[in-house]
Amino acid sequence: MGRTVLIVDDHPSFRASAKRMLEADGYDVIAEAADGAHAIDAVRVLRPDLVLLDIRLPDVDGFQIAQRLAADGPAPAVVLTSSHDRSDFAREIADSPVQGFIPKSELSAGAISLLLG
Amino acid sequence: MTSPRRAQIGLALAALALGVVVLVVVTGGEHNVHRGAYAALALATGWGFTGTGLYVWRRRPGNRVGPLMIAVGFSGMLKALAFANGSVLFTIGSLGEVLIFAVLVHLLLSFPSGRLEGRLDRLLVGASYFNTTVVNTAAFLFTDPAKAGCSNCPSNPLLIESSQAASVISTAEVDIAIALLGAVVAVLYRRWRDSTHGQRRAYAPVLAGGSLTFALLMTQLIVQQAGLSSGVSDALTLALFGSIACLPVAFLVGLLRFRFGQAEAVSLLVARLGAGGGRGALRDALAEALGDPDLELAYWVPSQGSYVDAVGRPMRVDPAPEGKVATIVEHEGRRVGAILHNADLAEERDHVRAVGAAAALTLENERLEAELRANLDQLRASRARIVTAGDVQRRRLERDLHDGTQQRLMALGINLRMARDRVSSDPEEAVELLDASLDELNEATRELRELARGIHPAVLTERGLRAALNGLAERSPVPVDLTETPDGRLPSSVESAVYFVVAEALTNVARYAGARVATVSVQRSNGHIDVEVSDDGVGGADPDQGSGLRGLSDRVAALDGRLDLKSADGRGTTVRASIPCV
Repeated sequence: MGRTVLIVDDHPSFRASAKRMLEADGYDVIAEAADGAHAIDAVRVLRPDLVLLDIRLPDVDGFQIAQRLAADGPAPAVVLTSSHDRSDFAREIADSPVQGFIPKSELSAGAISLLLG
Repeated sequence: MTSPRRAQIGLALAALALGVVVLVVVTGGEHNVHRGAYAALALATGWGFTGTGLYVWRRRPGNRVGPLMIAVGFSGMLKALAFANGSVLFTIGSLGEVLIFAVLVHLLLSFPSGRLEGRLDRLLVGASYFNTTVVNTAAFLFTDPAKAGCSNCPSNPLLIESSQAASVISTAEVDIAIALLGAVVAVLYRRWRDSTHGQRRAYAPVLAGGSLTFALLMTQLIVQQAGLSSGVSDALTLALFGSIACLPVAFLVGLLRFRFGQAEAVSLLVARLGAGGGRGALRDALAEALGDPDLELAYWVPSQGSYVDAVGRPMRVDPAPEGKVATIVEHEGRRVGAILHNADLAEERDHVRAVGAAAALTLENERLEAELRANLDQLRASRARIVTAGDVQRRRLERDLHDGTQQRLMALGINLRMARDRVSSDPEEAVELLDASLDELNEATRELRELARGIHPAVLTERGLRAALNGLAERSPVPVDLTETPDGRLPSSVESAVYFVVAEALTNVARYAGARVATVSVQRSNGHIDVEVSDDGVGGADPDQGSGLRGLSDRVAALDGRLDLKSADGRGTTVRASIPCV
């Protein structure tokens, strides 16, 4: 069985494509969340190995969620993503307790695997 | 002949006739020591008050001072009937003997408006009428004139029995009268103290005469209670009658001075205005001329259809604030403003108008300034709203692009990359991914088209207003009857404004109106484009709610146009815009 994944994004079409992509590459997508509150609940209950986390969400942003997950104890690996490019968030990404950032335009299972090592 | 005129002539004739009866009765009275003096004073009082009252009534038909003066005249003559030798006239005169004092209290306390203003005034007048009618009658029922010291008086046909009750009730009546008169004199003094210089000139004769009369009456009653010599009492009675008889002259002088007061107020105002002064000088001059320190001025702004104050802030005039009355001021037939003055001046509207007319030209000048300020304020607010609306629109646009098209393109990218990776290894899945990608692409294209139309509809630029409005009608979920559109092209700013007015109005119809049908008409008339969007829905739309209509109003105002909303509960909604277009 592959690594378990939680996809956090408020756009259903993106979640559907990301799920298809990750599952095709052997990841096990165990849940999806459309906002920060549901994401934190899902992590506490399901303990996924990886969280694919959109930066711009309706309630809190991805950076705050990553901080809270890190503060909660053993945190899953977090990969941030966004339709904006890296230059928009360079400082915040560097300061966040995350594995890394992949723009949505470049998102692939291979790129994620590279970050996770 | 009008009915008040007939009534006045009838009253004049009745007063003449009653006066003759009084003359005969008083001069022939056997229980009267000063016949000549009483006859002269009774006639002076009766005819003097009635004549002056009729004059005042004709001059000021809406003011009750005239009728009250006539009532004083008649009750004065009624009183004189108590000198009659016959028992019927004697009884009528005795029952009405003191009524004149209650009517006098009523007249004095209601001068000059003819109305009783406060609760205390009404209480004093009510108590006076009660004392002079009910209590006086009760005493008379137990009074035998012969036993009361008037051996020449006729008998009392209403006598129940001669008893101590008469003196007890009479004493109470006199005590009540003394207390009431003291209170009335105090009220009159307070009124004098609180009046302005101009008012004092007019009120002085009336208040002085009235107070003297009541002071004499009080003294006479006290003397009567104390049982002093009849000589003193007689002298006081004559002095009292004399002072009552002189009162009509006091009223006449007061009224004449009041009219002089008007002229004086106008000339004072003109002099003050001639001296110039900054903002507020006109208000101060009017406040002084009208004796109302809280007076306010409201300037009419025709373009807004409302009143503003000197600095251009909106002001409520109709209905006027509580305790105030608005008198409209016109200049050359056009409304220029309104004077919001104390409701006490309501009876003196002619006076206020005369003063307002003298100030009309200055008011017109100040009105232009106030209108300019109001328009400037409105322009500033509108400019700020346009800037804010621009920011809001850009944010919404960014959000719409981010949430819609951008996300679809991202998903499309993922699908295409996956399809590329599977073209050789799993062609079937690659085809599925390409189909999904095409769906995303179609959706993204549709969303972009919607967005572009919201920014500026291409069909409006390319094919004009009629085609663009047809498109709006076509896409509206509520059926739209497009009754009229102008031929040819209009300036692009006007076409855009008309398009967005109709688009926003139809969006609101679909969202809130619950309408079965909407009607749209756009037509040219008198150098304007008039737009009307109406529906048969629930109505009750609030123009201040929501930024959509406000934004449209600003857009239309930027073209010197005007947007109005009519939306009564249950009677549909009509949005009208009128935009200058030569």
